[in-house]
Amino acid sequence: MSTDAAPAAPAAGADEPPAVQLRGITKRFPGVVANHDIDLSVRRGTIHAIVGENGAGKSTLMKTLYGMHRPDSGEILIDGDRIVFHSPQQAISAGIGMVHQHFMLADNFTVLENIVLGAEKLHGIGAAAARRIRELSRQYGLGVDPEALVEDLGVGDRQRVEILKVLYRGARVLILDEPTAVLVPQEVDELFENLRQLTREGLTVIFISHKLHEVLAVADAITVIRRGTTVAAVDPGEVTPRQLAALMVGSELPSPEARESTVTDVPVLAVAGLSVRTAGGRSLVEDVSFTIHRGEVVGIAGVEGNGQAELIEAIMGMRPSTGRVTLDGVDVSERGTRKRREAGLGYIPADRHRQGLLLDAPLWENRMLGHQTEAPNARGWLLNNRGARRDTERIVAEYDVRTPGADVPAAALSGGNQQKLIVGREMSHTPKVLLAAHPTRGVDIGAQAAIWEHIKRARREGMGVLLISADLDELIGLSDTLKVIFRGRFVAEADPAAVTPEQLGLAMTGCG
Amino acid sequence: MSTVLASAPAAPVAPPPRDRRFSLPILLLVIAGGLVALAAVRAITGANDLTSHGAVRAALQSAVPIGLAGLGGLWAERAGVVNIGLEGQMIFGTWFGAWAGFHWGPWAGVLAAVAGGALGGLLHALATVTFGVDHIISGVAITILAGGATRYLSQLAFQGLPGGGVTQSPPVPELPRLSVPGASVLDRVERAHWFLASDLAGILRGALTDVSTLTIVAALLVPLTFWVLWRTAFGLRLRSVGENPHAAESLGVNVYRYKYYGVVISGALAGLGGAFLSMVASSIYRESQTGGRGYIGLAAMIFGNWRPGGLASGALLFGYTDALQLRGGSQSVHALLLFLAFVLAAVGLWQVLRGRRTVGAVAIGAAVLVGLWYATTDAIPAEFVQAAPHITTLVVLALASQRLRMPAADGQRYRRGG
Repeated sequence: MSTDAAPAAPAAGADEPPAVQLRGITKRFPGVVANHDIDLSVRRGTIHAIVGENGAGKSTLMKTLYGMHRPDSGEILIDGDRIVFHSPQQAISAGIGMVHQHFMLADNFTVLENIVLGAEKLHGIGAAAARRIRELSRQYGLGVDPEALVEDLGVGDRQRVEILKVLYRGARVLILDEPTAVLVPQEVDELFENLRQLTREGLTVIFISHKLHEVLAVADAITVIRRGTTVAAVDPGEVTPRQLAALMVGSELPSPEARESTVTDVPVLAVAGLSVRTAGGRSLVEDVSFTIHRGEVVGIAGVEGNGQAELIEAIMGMRPSTGRVTLDGVDVSERGTRKRREAGLGYIPADRHRQGLLLDAPLWENRMLGHQTEAPNARGWLLNNRGARRDTERIVAEYDVRTPGADVPAAALSGGNQQKLIVGREMSHTPKVLLAAHPTRGVDIGAQAAIWEHIKRARREGMGVLLISADLDELIGLSDTLKVIFRGRFVAEADPAAVTPEQLGLAMTGCG
Repeated sequence: MSTVLASAPAAPVAPPPRDRRFSLPILLLVIAGGLVALAAVRAITGANDLTSHGAVRAALQSAVPIGLAGLGGLWAERAGVVNIGLEGQMIFGTWFGAWAGFHWGPWAGVLAAVAGGALGGLLHALATVTFGVDHIISGVAITILAGGATRYLSQLAFQGLPGGGVTQSPPVPELPRLSVPGASVLDRVERAHWFLASDLAGILRGALTDVSTLTIVAALLVPLTFWVLWRTAFGLRLRSVGENPHAAESLGVNVYRYKYYGVVISGALAGLGGAFLSMVASSIYRESQTGGRGYIGLAAMIFGNWRPGGLASGALLFGYTDALQLRGGSQSVHALLLFLAFVLAAVGLWQVLRGRRTVGAVAIGAAVLVGLWYATTDAIPAEFVQAAPHITTLVVLALASQRLRMPAADGQRYRRGG
């Protein structure tokens, strides 16, 4: 095996058939063509990235390859042989494995139990299976302990368990569906190292993503999908992120930059001496004070888990805290979350599935959430369903939420469209201050640009924004003031006009 | 950028995994300690019935149906279905056991009871798994249905038979009882009332002599359940369905089918518990013979943290308090107050040693109060004695439920591909 991971150099001979080849794949669902004329060729022993915006048809394509549904036309070739899959089981036995975006693990089971489940016939469920798992873990450098309980594992370890699950079943081709969506930067680097190790051992990785810098960092070859079809196959060594992004969206790109200042000297949110502790007394946020003025975006940079999430939840009144929160001259420290929202706090939560949306409820009910006491959702004591529905249609149109209608459940929308709905909902009540936690996380480039545009417009109109983001470019580009949080305290301030992401990253680790 | 981020100090390390279960030596130590304390209480108070073979035998008698119901609950809930219909499946068990036992002999009765309970389980599975009915609603409906159906069946099957009627069956032949040969020598040791020796003799004698075959079956079912659920591929699949059915489905496990297995076995075990009530605990089917034991079985299962061993100890605990109550043990229950004071004091000391002062102080304070109660009274009001098993259930659940872990997808409706 070649240990040289040079992206352009093919590891195998040129006459060897591709590990996976798709020819002219077309898949229709009622009313839409999800994929048409997909052509894809993946060399063995490479990491092949498939990039495209959310909703471009990446997942549909991978489901086709994994046998979860059959294409209407076109053919799949594995190692040069034409194969028709009727079920994932057949794909598995052909050596194709899928690592799902959302982990499919039972928390209260050991790693061993999670891995052998459904494949008990291979090595039983006892010592032999544990031996095999250790062997695989060593071979691919995954460092997974079969006896560990999954609930004790971090996100990165869980993902390695998912990968092992697939390897244990003998997969030679691994499909990873947006594997970095749930990882923090260090874990992403570890994952990439794991993936390179897999390809060194001769496996083939298909990597689905819309994060361009990650794709460029790890992939040996890139295929771009736009509106359901493959539009380009590019070499990561010969393309810039902006070119790649332009291929994905089919046009030139906006940037988060918002240089013309709109900051006023009218304070709109003042936080004084705010502290948050766990039930056990451990300090999460320690004596934090700051002021946001009208028309100002205050960005908070920090490695995840340093108290920024707790800070925002405390300001929203969702988490018990000490200290004072003053909104537009009114002390809201003693008010509950609903009163704070009515007083003019808008909120874009970091995890829209846990907070922010009821996935099983229709869009118009989701439109009411958090504003169920205000027009157009309510008339006095009663809900105004018709008003909410009408207003949802307005949001769908104004914020470009791609949906068949206001009656579909929120779960049916892609992540980007769910986020646009949340942004539209929060903006519709003209908040005085918007608390935005990772507003563009897991969102495709088109939606990202739209969300940035909405935040910038609201800022021009005098709204104050508290922004948390792991995307440092976004943070630097949008913010008027930058603060760095480390272990629950503000440790540094930075001028977004001058600071570089590298300097900011250093400060976030506490060395700045 | 990413290189700078990567050099960040590792995220706060996760706390070391908690000790999840007692290790075996500690468990044995606790049991031994409890035994010594019980023997001491007997010696101090002179309430010899606390460890008499009769009390132990009665405790087993009470514990078996509770334990079987609890095992039934375990099988269903490990597969993710809450089976509050255990009570109803037990009722089916009592009736079918007596009916078939009367006609074709005791072993036919046992089989019929198992089949009757399994039928109730099948109904529950049909409602909850196939049709997605809320588990509680279906379970309560089955319990109500069982009460009505057995009364109707009694009218058809028992009325007019000698000793039979609308609410009860004719006498049912008994299942054989077994004794370990030579265990009768324990008799003399027990009657000597020596500290500890006589207590051990009493307990052994109660557990080894004149034991119904069904009790032995029930006792064997506990390790068998553990072995099947935790040591076989079948059990792994069944438990996976209760922990994360979507993960199980994605790995090719037929979730519906395993839920059916779990719930039908659950009903069968509850039915067996019913057979014990109508054929061993008494030799006749009577209406409302189950008396809520299905629910107490569920409580024992929760107390046992959804594990067979814990469930069995829960059943024994409830069975023991029930036995003392049944034996009219005002004196025994009064003596138990002293035992309770000992236990609370020990728990309190342990908590203080672990640095949890407040909890420890509360426990020790409670120990003093219970001790005072014991010292200042001679007897316990009869009403309280009768309620003792139920109060124990409540107290134990309230204390134990703090750190319990039920199957993650327990009680949730599952739809394929949903």
